[in-house]
Amino acid sequence: MAETPKMKNLKQSSTRTPKRSTPKINSLISPRTPQTSTPTIPTPRRSLRFTPQNTTRSLQNHKIAPPPHSPVTISITPISPHPTESKRKRKLELKPQTLNKKRVLTTDLNNNTKKSSSNKIKKRVYYKKVVYDGGEFAAGDDVYIKRKEETSSDDDFAEVEECRVCFKPAGKRIMIECDDCLNGFHLRCLKPPLKEVPEGDWICNYCKGRKSGKLVEFPEPPKGKKRVRTAREKLLSSDLWAARIESLWKEVDGTYWCRVRWYIIPEETAAGRQPHNLRRELYRTNDFADVEMESIIRHCYVMSPKEFSKASNEGDDVFLCEYEYDIHYYSFKRIAEIDNNDDDGEGAERDDDWNSCSESDSDTEEEVEYEDEINICSLSKPSPAHPLAANSRKGRIYGLQKIGAKKIPEHVRCHKQTDIEKAKATLLLATLPKSLPCRDKEMDEITTFVKGAICDEQCLGRCLYVHGVPGTGKTMSVLASMRNLKSEVDAGHIRPYCFVEINGLKLASPENIYSVIYEGLTGHRVGWKKALHFLNERFSDENKHGKEDRKPCILLIDELDLLVTRNQAVLYNILDWPTKPNSKLIVIGIANTMDLPEKLLPRISSRMGIQRLCFGPYNYQQLQEIISSRLKGIGAFDKLAIEFASRKVASVSGDARRALEICRRAAEHADYHAKSSLLSSSDTAGKISIGMADVEAAIKEMLQAPHIQVIRSCSKLSKIFLAAMVHELYKTGMGETTFEKLATVVMSFCSSNGETLPEYDTLLKVGCKLGECRVLLCEAASRHKLQKLQLNYPNDDVTFALKDSKDLPWLAKYL
Amino acid sequence: MDASNAPHSSVIGSRMQLASENGSATTPLKRHRSSNSSTTPPLRKSPRLRTQDSPTAPPKVNEIVKSLNSSLNLCGSLQQRRLSESCIEKPNWDPRVDKEQLRVVKEALHVSTAPTTVMCRENEQNKILNFCKECVKQQKAGSLYVCGLPGTGKSLSMERVRGILVDWAKEEDILPPDVLSIHCTSLTNTNEIFSKIIGQNHPGKKASRSTSLQLLQNLYSQKQQPGMKMIIVIADELDYLITKDRDVLHNLFMLTTIPFSKCILVGIANAIDLADRFIPKLQSLNCKPMVITFRAYRKNQIITILQERLRALPYIVFQPQAVELCATRVAAGSGDMRNALSICRSAIELLEAEVRDSFSNLNMSALEKIEDKPKSAATNQVNYMVRIDHVATALSKAYRSPVVDNIQSLPQHQQIILCSAVKLFRGRKKDTIVGELYKSYTDVCRSTSIPPVGIQEISNMCGVLSDQGIFKLGKSREDKLRRVSLNIDEADIIFALQ
Repeated sequence: MAETPKMKNLKQSSTRTPKRSTPKINSLISPRTPQTSTPTIPTPRRSLRFTPQNTTRSLQNHKIAPPPHSPVTISITPISPHPTESKRKRKLELKPQTLNKKRVLTTDLNNNTKKSSSNKIKKRVYYKKVVYDGGEFAAGDDVYIKRKEETSSDDDFAEVEECRVCFKPAGKRIMIECDDCLNGFHLRCLKPPLKEVPEGDWICNYCKGRKSGKLVEFPEPPKGKKRVRTAREKLLSSDLWAARIESLWKEVDGTYWCRVRWYIIPEETAAGRQPHNLRRELYRTNDFADVEMESIIRHCYVMSPKEFSKASNEGDDVFLCEYEYDIHYYSFKRIAEIDNNDDDGEGAERDDDWNSCSESDSDTEEEVEYEDEINICSLSKPSPAHPLAANSRKGRIYGLQKIGAKKIPEHVRCHKQTDIEKAKATLLLATLPKSLPCRDKEMDEITTFVKGAICDEQCLGRCLYVHGVPGTGKTMSVLASMRNLKSEVDAGHIRPYCFVEINGLKLASPENIYSVIYEGLTGHRVGWKKALHFLNERFSDENKHGKEDRKPCILLIDELDLLVTRNQAVLYNILDWPTKPNSKLIVIGIANTMDLPEKLLPRISSRMGIQRLCFGPYNYQQLQEIISSRLKGIGAFDKLAIEFASRKVASVSGDARRALEICRRAAEHADYHAKSSLLSSSDTAGKISIGMADVEAAIKEMLQAPHIQVIRSCSKLSKIFLAAMVHELYKTGMGETTFEKLATVVMSFCSSNGETLPEYDTLLKVGCKLGECRVLLCEAASRHKLQKLQLNYPNDDVTFALKDSKDLPWLAKYL
Repeated sequence: MDASNAPHSSVIGSRMQLASENGSATTPLKRHRSSNSSTTPPLRKSPRLRTQDSPTAPPKVNEIVKSLNSSLNLCGSLQQRRLSESCIEKPNWDPRVDKEQLRVVKEALHVSTAPTTVMCRENEQNKILNFCKECVKQQKAGSLYVCGLPGTGKSLSMERVRGILVDWAKEEDILPPDVLSIHCTSLTNTNEIFSKIIGQNHPGKKASRSTSLQLLQNLYSQKQQPGMKMIIVIADELDYLITKDRDVLHNLFMLTTIPFSKCILVGIANAIDLADRFIPKLQSLNCKPMVITFRAYRKNQIITILQERLRALPYIVFQPQAVELCATRVAAGSGDMRNALSICRSAIELLEAEVRDSFSNLNMSALEKIEDKPKSAATNQVNYMVRIDHVATALSKAYRSPVVDNIQSLPQHQQIILCSAVKLFRGRKKDTIVGELYKSYTDVCRSTSIPPVGIQEISNMCGVLSDQGIFKLGKSREDKLRRVSLNIDEADIIFALQ
């Protein structure tokens, strides 16, 4: 997010109102209510006219004395409308009321009351909760949003559902909902009338009639009374939208805005409504938009399947949402999985908002970036053209964020980060680099491959195998080039396509990939056998020419080698589909093994084609470039230190992950030392830089096995045992020895050096212990005396570790 | 129709070239697109019409192409070229003119586009066809086993036979047989094949897996009413039906031996002796399936097939020598048609990239010196064809054994490991364990005064090397005890590390 909204007048306000003094603030607003949330009685919504008025409650408001340009007033309706009242009635009641528009700020997120009277507001103010026009809206709420000004011809929404027969609201009588058409009926109005709500699904007579082929018509509404559709009906016929509020703020001009995440109905997805979709099912999208509060209608409730099944009879505005729909790749993902990963865009989004306030606690103050003007111009219509116009964030990165962006803990942000801390943060593996240096050629190749495959009018199926040693940026490059392609799709250069990403390691069994693919393409979870059937139908049935307009589909399979089963049927099927006409399937497989295709059955490698892409290990210049590109702008690292680390890694494995880890560890090391020296000497060392010594220490820590430490710190008897082992092995020149022989050597050592003779059982125990911590390699312990023993580490290491042990100085002469 | 239309398009094309020389960079593109509309519709229709009308003998085509090519090479100036084109059937291909052409070429060479006739497999196809015809005519059951290497046209021929058979049955006024193609990999359970067969026979009936076999056996063991149709079961990738007890495969073939069976079984697989190995009982019953073998394509066959595919196109895309090179290499390697096609495809992509580069260069130069006409005209005369060098590059991409490069780009310590492995294997010993290798490695390190890395690292690096196909790594409980042997030639390593 480019804009980092902060308050200019923050200092002043914070001086006046101490932090976290909620009660006081509230008393300022409404002295009557000391709680955080004012118990405003929900006022029924009326038109969107806006007449600020501050007279009625002047008694309470005199402290605030809001200027006319920023009406922060309290609305408390004297009459509380009964929730089951019909619309018409409500209108009548409201007429005598003088207040028809009001808003109350309940809780200020920043805990700073905005006294706009004294300061000209120049920035956005973020809120946690806003009472707007009688409804209380908080971040995380689900709301209905008006679609267009034009469709407001029937601007009225029946807030209460009416009986479909007698056209009266439920009142005290029980209403029942048809599971097919979702219409409500009074139990009494049914023919024959029902006494009580039946168990299980119930379908009304009209739907039954329609299903049996008869032409049934619902009874006409009585004269003079127009049938009013409820918001739910409008939503499901896409005259309305639903969205989830992500954040709320007040714009510079005093209008209230919120950032919302859209929901869409199944009809609006690329796959269309599918037979398994429930009537009340919605999909969450990854599409955000800024919407004026004006266009929000009221609350609805979107629940996960679990909640939904529990809260089945809570009203009309309940919806079910199980999947997130990617509007760019036209693929589905289960929300539960996304939330588990916590790498969602939502997290980042909210993070930013939080960031703004937590940083405002510190003394750093920055001017708000003033791009609002443009925003207002483009968004002045309260109804953005939902999935299309909401692209204010076209450049959003989806691909890379999936790799595992982690929220940086807030406490880190509370204070000004030092260079070292910044360096540590950017060197985290989870942090996304802004660019991928040194892989331009490979990315080009991937891009041309995908483009060549999907640009054709008739997408020809293809397969690409990407291989390379770990930590060479394979997945990263593929995702980055997919991201680049996506922006081209947005620009209209390429046809849109589906993109399904699968990691072989995340599959419970190789066969499960079918259901994962199918779920990704349609948002429907089925067993793998069924999914295989459907996928076969989709990709290899030539008969279905009706689906010509299907989008091409790109399948990215990470860790392809894990899909190899005994008879390799899974791989065969997946790689066979692209060779079918009209499959429009492109498979990109990623694995470490270079010769995987050759290891497979010839019939599979024949179908795989010859398109290969190799990611070689990085050399030290490349590693250096990668690290320095991450550390751009942070001067904490010594140049030589970076070079040292990258040379060290390049000489062993060329794994970028490891290089980053070493650098991060070095930074931690330096940080630790700086802090401890700060504590001892208590003079600010100024700027600390990470030098060779830190890198050296990090490398030592990471690359060298801790066995020497283990051997040095083990018990006396174990040391004798090990020394005897080395001695014995040296004497015999063999690689291994038996426990029996060893025991005699130990005994002779002990007797000749005045140690107490250990028992046989104790020795056995010592041997087992050493075997457990893998200093020794033991045979199966059941052979007791005869079990063979081997050193797991070279003799020299053991000798080195034991040579200068203080408690057993005589050991040295045997080594 | 083609002859009249194609030159027209090429004339437009050459004019466009002229225009592109004179005009700015942007305008010709626009016009090119407008020229598409006039050329494309006949292009799309022509292949099918042609192949059905005149299946000329392949060598003839070869000659024509050769002569054509030479004549094209001769002509120098634009006028001459236009003249020569008017009398030649196929114009030269110019991928710059329109993207559509490129697309058509790619599509023609794609694996999924099945040619209308299966070339070079007439013998095998006839054998299968005759067998099926015989069986259908006599209303008797039978089994056939088709084997051959991957990419030799087994499934394709079967598809073709299937179509011909139905047509033939209609002509002969015989009750046309039901045909059921099953891909054995797509079965979730091997027993499912029986329920599929019974589902084909009696669409209404739904039997569970265990009973469907019995139902089938019952059905075929009693005399049926005369209206009963024959059923041809084509089981692709038959070896996926092999279970531990070989029950399914056995039962399947036994179905054809039941007295009143109406089942004609055609199995397709790679293994040549699948039936002998897995169903020895059939031999004793004297109803061994007839075996038809599809041999790997030879060089000439690959050339013929590729040219058959290319012939459908109204322009020359490949130099004949290029096709020949591709065919030679593929035939020497695997004889896999899919391989040949993908090599052609990547060769075309190479050409495409080259054209794109030269086109942008051309534009640049055109912008710079518009007056310098003759020079740009000369550069324009390049024949855009897939030449030998394109194919050679594609082949080397596909078949390269980049061992030496690979070793040279390895990290230093991995090279040392290789070095010490070679040293170890100097004697008679050809494999060792990781622990031994580590000892030898530390020796080498000590002698060169490079600090050695730990044993854990070494075994990790051995894993990486085996991923790259340099080492062969055995399995063991202990990392240290895993067996290591070289997977590549020692000489390669020595050469690379010198």
